[in-house]
Amino acid sequence: MKRYAYYLSCINESMTKEVDRSIELWQKDLGIEFVKLHEGTCCGGSNLDYVSPKHFALVNARNIALAEKQGLDLIVSCNTCLMTIRSAKKKLDETPALKKEINDLLKKEGLEYRGTSEVRHLLWVLIDDIGLDAIRQKVKVPLKNYRIAPFYGCHILRPSTVLGHDNPVDPSSLDLLIDALGGQTIPYTHKNRCCGFHTLLVAEQESLNVAAEALEEAIQLKADFIVTPCPLCHTSLDGYQAKALKHAGVESSIPIFHISEMVGLALGYSPKELGIKRHIVS
Amino acid sequence: MTVPIDQHIEQKQDVTFRIFRFNPQVDSKPYFDDYTIPVERGITVLRSLNYIKEHIDASISFRAFCQAGICGSCGMRINGLSQLACTTQVWEVLAKSREPGLIRVEPLRNLPLIKDLIVDMDPLVDKMKHYSNWIDSTMPESSMGKKEFLISEEEFLRYDKATDCILCASCVSECSILRANKEYVSPAVLLKSYRMNVDTRDALHGQRLAELVKDHGVWDCTHCYRCQESCVKSIPIMDAIHGIREDAIELRGLKDTSGSKHAEAFMSDIEKKGKLVEATLPIRTNGVFWTIQNLLPMAVKMIMKHRTPPPPPLVKPAKGIKVFRELFREMTEHVKQDHKSHKK
Amino acid sequence: MKPFDIVIVGGGGAGLYAAMEAMKTNPSLNIAVLSKVYPNRSHTSAAQGGANAALGNKAKDDTVEMHIFDTIKGSDYLADQDAVDVLCSEAPKIIRELENMGTPWSRMDDNTIAQRPFGGAGRPRCCYCADKTGHTILQTLYEQCLKKGVIFFNEYFALNLSVKGSRSRGLVAINMKTGRLEAFPARTVILATGGYAKMYWNRSSNAAGNTGDGQAIAYRAGIPMKDMEFVQFHPTGLRKSGLLVTEGARGEGGYLINKNGERFMARYAKEKMELGPRDLVSRSLETEILEGRGFDSPAGKYLHLDLTHLGADLIKSRLPQIREMCMQFEGVDPIEEPIPVRPTAHYSMGGIDTDNFTRTVMSGVYAAGECACVSVHGANRLGGNSLLDILVFGRIAGHTAAEEAGRFEPGNISEAELQLNTDEIRGSMHSSGHYERYGELREELGQTLALNVGIFREASLLKKGMLDIAELRERFKRVRVFDTSDVFNTNLLQVLELRNMLDLAETVAAGAFAREESRGSHTRVDFPVRDDAKWHKHTMATMVKGNVSLGEKPVTMGRYELQERTY
Repeated sequence: MKRYAYYLSCINESMTKEVDRSIELWQKDLGIEFVKLHEGTCCGGSNLDYVSPKHFALVNARNIALAEKQGLDLIVSCNTCLMTIRSAKKKLDETPALKKEINDLLKKEGLEYRGTSEVRHLLWVLIDDIGLDAIRQKVKVPLKNYRIAPFYGCHILRPSTVLGHDNPVDPSSLDLLIDALGGQTIPYTHKNRCCGFHTLLVAEQESLNVAAEALEEAIQLKADFIVTPCPLCHTSLDGYQAKALKHAGVESSIPIFHISEMVGLALGYSPKELGIKRHIVS
Repeated sequence: MTVPIDQHIEQKQDVTFRIFRFNPQVDSKPYFDDYTIPVERGITVLRSLNYIKEHIDASISFRAFCQAGICGSCGMRINGLSQLACTTQVWEVLAKSREPGLIRVEPLRNLPLIKDLIVDMDPLVDKMKHYSNWIDSTMPESSMGKKEFLISEEEFLRYDKATDCILCASCVSECSILRANKEYVSPAVLLKSYRMNVDTRDALHGQRLAELVKDHGVWDCTHCYRCQESCVKSIPIMDAIHGIREDAIELRGLKDTSGSKHAEAFMSDIEKKGKLVEATLPIRTNGVFWTIQNLLPMAVKMIMKHRTPPPPPLVKPAKGIKVFRELFREMTEHVKQDHKSHKK
Repeated sequence: MKPFDIVIVGGGGAGLYAAMEAMKTNPSLNIAVLSKVYPNRSHTSAAQGGANAALGNKAKDDTVEMHIFDTIKGSDYLADQDAVDVLCSEAPKIIRELENMGTPWSRMDDNTIAQRPFGGAGRPRCCYCADKTGHTILQTLYEQCLKKGVIFFNEYFALNLSVKGSRSRGLVAINMKTGRLEAFPARTVILATGGYAKMYWNRSSNAAGNTGDGQAIAYRAGIPMKDMEFVQFHPTGLRKSGLLVTEGARGEGGYLINKNGERFMARYAKEKMELGPRDLVSRSLETEILEGRGFDSPAGKYLHLDLTHLGADLIKSRLPQIREMCMQFEGVDPIEEPIPVRPTAHYSMGGIDTDNFTRTVMSGVYAAGECACVSVHGANRLGGNSLLDILVFGRIAGHTAAEEAGRFEPGNISEAELQLNTDEIRGSMHSSGHYERYGELREELGQTLALNVGIFREASLLKKGMLDIAELRERFKRVRVFDTSDVFNTNLLQVLELRNMLDLAETVAAGAFAREESRGSHTRVDFPVRDDAKWHKHTMATMVKGNVSLGEKPVTMGRYELQERTY
């Protein structure tokens, strides 16, 4: 069993509950055990760092320290949480003075940030730790003939100085996963583009334009569904889909899946079990 | 690595350049022309374009000047990526090219097309003017030239990287929000604005900031990081954009704009519960009226799918929130001390 | 078009400073800057080293007088000494003024403007911003011009001065966006278009557009050029692109190697080896190549600058930009392989003859920057003095033109004149029968200049060079412009730039042939010593009936007597 500390993203606790639920279903099948970090707090989601850089560092040093205390790597299944916590980690590792200031505070909770735990995405664990061959062998219901559009989402790719796993210009990990599950990836130019999530409240029109473009291409390419490793992208592309497409004057729709659901389907679980019915777009 | 001592053998391969063409005088819409030429190892895309222009088709038009990566003239999209043609090695692009032996060359995005690979820079210059991208010196002109301002290394480092910008417009071309709205301020302009704001010789700080927080300004950035990723000078542009937001919050407060209110909500939710109260996020950002007007249909759908975020009282705080809150508040004191010592 | 009071051609350091100073001197004037590229693209951006000024920040005992001496000596005593006085005296004020406007100069520990040593300087007085001094100065000036609302005509190519009698009435330029010729009637014109070293084509480190447009325009209008034969060569330019590998590579311990694997500098500068003065090292490299000890390649002969023995760690930490540059422009990683280099034409000391107030012999026409020759650099320019030159004299040009504009009648350029210019251009687009290709002519010009009017000059070679140039000028009359579109015709632009280079090349070769001595950057193997008795004077070159006619002008002395120049 491969054990990891599992970070609870705010959105997965509230709107996109299906993500964690689906992971719970199949983690054992792939030899994974995720230990949920109930003491973890919100990462600050690409907003906290400019309200207060120091609070941002503290909060995320603590999140990582909680995993370190258990001697486990911290695994995340939201892109922005991934990018955010990794950015904080980079800052802490590069700025000894900051690290000391934070650790002086963390001491009071019996925690210490040492930098010994890696912060990674579920997708990377599947590709790197479990391995495509092992996954292929466990597939019960290959996603045969499904034309799938891989939407990576910005924060699992950029900035590459913080993420560095995939080539931001031509990423491949999600494509490889789809292939291992028996699906067919389509040449989707929006694979490394944005979904507009972070400005949905502040600049709605622009975000809808951005989301609509991603949706339109997948629809034009006759994809059966879009899959994404990020619940924020999912919310933008699924939750806001009707609004975005209406705004763009497109009459059509396309289902959006989380990678955890896609994996679950291939491993033989039913859509209902996985929580697929919770999506806005069916 | 052994190289024959008296002769450098040039490795060559045939490369097809698929170049975007459009002459508004005669063409109704753009098209692509293919040119296949032998290219030696070490040759850049610009040199290849020059070769094509000189030997095959003199009409292909593009900007180029220094050929050394400093003037910023030759920004264009090479296999979809915005960069400088003069510093891009053909063989390196080929190695990653999806279509073997083929390189697509297109003009920068998000700026009006003039001809072939040439786009209009004026909209960018106009934005630089609009957002006062210059130092408005605190020293009157009549006193200039006698003594320099004393600038510490610390301050110099604040704007040093930002002064690397050569206005090549690669970031402008890659920006997701600019693609959706041509009036958006643009990453390059935000970078320059930040550079001006952190320079103590500048007198316009507050006014510049006031303009930057308005519509189509700094709060519209969706942090997709495409700008930073494509920067030919590796400037951390997002540090500048976040720097402006941090500055805006400090100088203008958290209630200033919907953008700052959005950020405030994160800070206060984390302190209170350690988790976001998503249900009231739209209301705290934009107000009740806006939320009802814009999100009601979606809210209804979500209710039907049991997908709504829990109302505030039902948002479960993180385990151990009390101790966490103590740490958080102690940090708040630290930050207050920092600010006091910075204010001279 | 409403007549202008001042039209400035060129948007680099000199042109932009001229515009700002002119506006300051007389805010009611109608001023415009015309540039064939957006101002922030100008070649000022490529200057890395810095700008000299006797601020006394680094060396407390530095003085303007020392700067003056260093410059005069550096010029091999050909610079006009009163002009050098102006240059060096104005320097501290200008550097500080730029700083007060927001230029991000690097700083010393005491937070004053930092200074560092540079070639030929007795004290460390080169002010800099990291390795991007020219770039940051240019950006700052452009920003300030935007602030002041300077009127720009960007991507306009100046074609000819409009001359009536002994005065200029303004100029005619092509609007690149529309392809149409437009008249710019003006009381005064300031030419600030940069240097002409690009005529050496692939053997030059310059931008593609440093084709001496301002000089050619003035030359064709009958204004004399001065000291055109003095072209500065830099020893290590990359083989394929001509771009500079800065001295730092040698400073950190790089070796220059010929095809026999020999560190040949031992034969030319036993003590200093690779770190001898630029002109010496350039001559050494060139000698190795000429005597057959260079490597051969389709791109030409070259030598090796070998850094491989320095190790990956040192190269990555101390020379990262050089490494990046070699990989980007030559596809070579200096950690793995030696860098292919050869001397490259870098700067043009010669230019439009002006007085210390940037006035040319034609009233109402001024010139400043690398396109002008005051002369402050004489036969050889010191590093760090070029950025200074463009700033000081750009400012003086703006001030002078602003004060004097009122004396001149506004120009008037007729439709007929515009049509004449237009016809000439159109003609080249539709020539039938045998035609010449501009790319070939341009390459051949570069080759003959590199070979015959290069680092080592000699009567028979120079004669050959002059014949070649004359032939190329003749062939140019049949050059064909293939792109017949109006919108952004870069084919036409390049052909017109070639015309400018060909016109000027005559003056360079003729001047080099006539000057029978060696001085500064002009080395005659058949006249290897400096001959003050016969040649302590400026070479003047004027266009008479389409060809060059040489003359002379005395050098203004008064500060330092002639002495031998040794380092």
